[in-house]
Amino acid sequence: MPSFKLDDKDIAFEPGDTIIRAAHRAGVDVPHYCWHPGLSVAANCRMCLVELMPPPGRPAMMLDVLAWDDLHQTYVPQKKPKLQPACQQAAAEGMVVKSQTSEHAVRARSAVQELLLLNHPVDCPICDQAGECRLQDYWLEHQASKKRMHDEPVHKPKGVVFGPTIVYDAERCIMCTRCVRVSAELAKDPVLSMRERGNLNEITVAPGRQLDHDYTLMTEYVCPVGALTSSDFRFKARVWFLRSARSTCVGCATGCSSFTDFDPRNQKVYRYRPRENAAVNKYWMCDEGMLDYQRIHHNRVLEARIKGEGVSDLAALEKAAELVKQASPQKTAILLSAEHSNEDNTALLDLGKALGALQVYYTGRPQGQGDDILMSADKNPNTAGVLALSGGRAKPFADLVAALKEGKVGALIALGSAIGNPNDAAALKEVRNFVALSTHDGAIADHAAVVLPASSWAEADGTFVNRTGLRQESDRAINPQGASRPAFRWVQELAKLLSLTLPWKKVSELRALSQGTETAAATPSVAPGAE
Amino acid sequence: MEPLDQDLDASELELPTEPMLLNVGPAHPAMHGTVRIVMELSGEIIERCDVQVGYLHRGFEKMCERGTWSQVFPYVDRCNYVSPMLNNVGFALACEKMLGITVPDRCQWYRMILGELARMSDHLTCDGAMAMELGAFTPFLWMIKGREMIWEIMEEETGARLTHSFGRVGGMAAPPTDGFKEHVRAVVKHILGIVDEVERLLLGNRIFLDRLENVGVISAEDAISLGWTGPCLRATGVPYDVRKAHPYLKYGEVDFDVPVGSTSDSFDRFMVRLAEMRQSARIIEQSLERMADKGPVNVDDPRVILPPKEEVYNTIEGTIQHFKIVMEGLKLPAGEVYSYTEGGNGELGFYLVSDGSGTPHRVRIRPPCFLITAGLERVITGQMMADVVPSFGSLNMIGGECDR
Amino acid sequence: MSKALIELVKKNFPDAVLESHSQLGDDTVVLAPGRWKEVCRFLKDNQQSDMSMLTDLTGVDYPDRDPRFEVVAHLYSLSRGHRLRVKARVGDREGETVEIDTLTELWASANWMERECFDMLGVKFLGHPDLRRILTYPEFEGHPLRKDYPAEKIQPLVQYRDEPNIDKVAPFGVDEGMSFGRQTHKVGIYTDADGDGGARRKIISPADN
Repeated sequence: MPSFKLDDKDIAFEPGDTIIRAAHRAGVDVPHYCWHPGLSVAANCRMCLVELMPPPGRPAMMLDVLAWDDLHQTYVPQKKPKLQPACQQAAAEGMVVKSQTSEHAVRARSAVQELLLLNHPVDCPICDQAGECRLQDYWLEHQASKKRMHDEPVHKPKGVVFGPTIVYDAERCIMCTRCVRVSAELAKDPVLSMRERGNLNEITVAPGRQLDHDYTLMTEYVCPVGALTSSDFRFKARVWFLRSARSTCVGCATGCSSFTDFDPRNQKVYRYRPRENAAVNKYWMCDEGMLDYQRIHHNRVLEARIKGEGVSDLAALEKAAELVKQASPQKTAILLSAEHSNEDNTALLDLGKALGALQVYYTGRPQGQGDDILMSADKNPNTAGVLALSGGRAKPFADLVAALKEGKVGALIALGSAIGNPNDAAALKEVRNFVALSTHDGAIADHAAVVLPASSWAEADGTFVNRTGLRQESDRAINPQGASRPAFRWVQELAKLLSLTLPWKKVSELRALSQGTETAAATPSVAPGAE
Repeated sequence: MEPLDQDLDASELELPTEPMLLNVGPAHPAMHGTVRIVMELSGEIIERCDVQVGYLHRGFEKMCERGTWSQVFPYVDRCNYVSPMLNNVGFALACEKMLGITVPDRCQWYRMILGELARMSDHLTCDGAMAMELGAFTPFLWMIKGREMIWEIMEEETGARLTHSFGRVGGMAAPPTDGFKEHVRAVVKHILGIVDEVERLLLGNRIFLDRLENVGVISAEDAISLGWTGPCLRATGVPYDVRKAHPYLKYGEVDFDVPVGSTSDSFDRFMVRLAEMRQSARIIEQSLERMADKGPVNVDDPRVILPPKEEVYNTIEGTIQHFKIVMEGLKLPAGEVYSYTEGGNGELGFYLVSDGSGTPHRVRIRPPCFLITAGLERVITGQMMADVVPSFGSLNMIGGECDR
Repeated sequence: MSKALIELVKKNFPDAVLESHSQLGDDTVVLAPGRWKEVCRFLKDNQQSDMSMLTDLTGVDYPDRDPRFEVVAHLYSLSRGHRLRVKARVGDREGETVEIDTLTELWASANWMERECFDMLGVKFLGHPDLRRILTYPEFEGHPLRKDYPAEKIQPLVQYRDEPNIDKVAPFGVDEGMSFGRQTHKVGIYTDADGDGGARRKIISPADN
């Protein structure tokens, strides 16, 4: 591997890499604002300037500058080396780069930082970026000096509504154009651009348009300062109170890797952030996925119900067991859910096997809009997983509707909350002995005789298989809400009451089982709702 | 009916005896702070005893791991709560050792003066309480009056009489007030007068001397093995004082003596403390002369010192500096350090482990009186019940420091 | 300060010293846990080191490391004025089998300090004459200074009263406490409305009338 030296450390690079990219890969940070590994290079912030030692035999490129001589109280001519932006300079074998060890680079960084803060408003107490703001971090690391300007800072519009999801504050903006590049390159919708010049610079939306493509929250995500804020998350939580769990987005079958940010003190989830995953979503997530966290706290089933009335857990379990016993195994049907993790679905399949129920169906949320960037039309995170777990035996919901009409179903144990086609909801009214393990109110929970409250994806560890067959794990963020428990725990309790033995006792055993039975399935043939 | 004057060495007539278990419980006027001593007495003599501490355990070391480095100051204040400034200074020095910064000279003198005042307050309390427990109420009140005067100085300087939380990493929370030097000189003079009067009153008193001399004796080897430091160790004849052996701040530049005892009994411990007060007064006088009247008290390092409020409200740099230090905590580089100073009871050590972030990974407070209380068993075993009170008093166990 | 002590230990116990450093002037050696007592005894008895005092013995929990705990002792020589920090790493990730030899035979200060280390971190000192809890009460469960012990957890010996609005309830219940001094009701009458001779005293409140 070719390599170059950065501050006396050898950094390997691939041909075509810039210095900053190679350093980023090696885990060494060169301070930067406008560079982003997933976007094109703009080189306008000048924070990543580094000193390149000249190749052997060539003199360094020196610039004439005037330096202030304190002793003589006058400017004296001096020479300083020309610094290069690390984000743009291609790495070459044998290059010697000085970043922290070069006094010129250190001074340059301090100067850049000072100039960026020159007109910056004193907004930290009300700015959402506080705690994850690059200006704050770099001030402490690179500048650490007081303000030298005593004039009134330049004032610009604040609180400009760019679109339904994003609010812009021009005073805080450092004009790095990351948002412009995200809109143009990721969302393929170049709706943002810069206007004016010099210190009147602002980001603006194209006239007659709003910032309304499907990746607007990515502009907020890449913004290193608090200029772009999400109207959804604004003023809701301070980031230093939030903890992050490594999760997988359950908004669609793409299964982007995400961080679930929650406040452990009140056990609430406040937002998602994308997590870097080169195989699935690189650095990005779509708006629908980013806002999907709201479902964790909306419309939840948080207490056990019998015929819509809240009851104790034990009463519901006993009634559920009673209902299941009433039907013969041939007439017992299992409904799996593509919304739920492998662990939940395996548990239900095992229960079905133990009962001798032969009818296995699956369903999930209805189809939605997909695109060729990240979003999948299949809005279920685990369709491939469910089909693989059932060995392809699980039949689509339409078959369940048909079986119900023919009177073949005496009892139905269902996992999940939504069904693929809302028109089929009427068919569920006729199911007798209907037990549901649901997270949300919906067609399933509304028609079930007994509803056991299941925990959502953020309240238990889970494994999801995305549309390309990639198995991903999602970690638990908050504790189970209300009286809810992970669906596999309900299955365990139900099995005990029915005097059935399941092939697993501990969660680790269940996880091992739910990994083993599946094959790496390709795109499933029938997604729920597409029947 | 058997006559009672038969010889009683026959075992059938011997009455069964067992030692009496006396519980000198945690709530007891003579137990400084809360300590429980379960004693087995044979008559008046203590055969065995079990000293149980922990009634004031507040979990400081665990709590320190939840905040930032500056948030440790209120906790260490409440360790040795009769000389809190010494704890503050000790912890600030530990953090500064880790950061590699030295505070300006004016701050060093300031810390020394406040620290010695705190030491005087500690010794006044200890000796006063000892005298009171032996029945001499008057010297107690005189010494408390002296302590009040010190607390008034503290209130003037820091805003609080006892738990000031005045130390900061890189300096102090505020510079000395304008009348500081005169105030301190007047108070010290008064306290020296009190010390003289107390000596005159107590040292000629037969009862006082009888109750303290040759009571609660411990050998120097035992004391060293037990890890004793401070006045209790010096009373055994070992002249170890951290200020002389490993000078910190400006202790190497001032003249003072280290009083050392010879018989290592409770009386020596009482007298060592009394003499130390005079030496503290000497240190204070010299420091007052050498302390500049103008100049910065805090080190000029934006990583650790909070900016003045006008800057915080008006400039973005001030806001960011304030934000970083308060919300994320000042960051000590990853590593570990053991820093020690002479606290009121001996070598007060801080073993800090940092993981590079603003939250401490481990703050270990090495409490001098924890080990001194461990030696209590050895001191009182074999003594009479009534000797427990002055012996224990002379050890100056501060519950807050022992249990944390 | 000077590395002489580290060199001394390394020279006499070359295979017992796993690491050493002198960060910030504090000489430190990391020992193999099996040689803990031997090296400490040497440091105490040897003329060059003459460590007469064990000033501090404590432990630190590093939950990401294996071995997880570090037992740290600070030794001091009164005669020579030098210090040494000796450490040993013990214990597995779950916090089981955290054991090391006791130093009570060498220095009496180890007695209580090891008890505290046991209490707070669960380190068992083999051969300690009286290893029981010191700062917490004997019925306490768990080891509070371990990183996996939640800081908010409380284990009261006497359970709190099961009162839903405990902040709003006076220290005494309505029929507890002395009748004088309680100015809570305008009419402080005790009535025998239940006919049980005042066994349950009922206070009439103006609202009852």
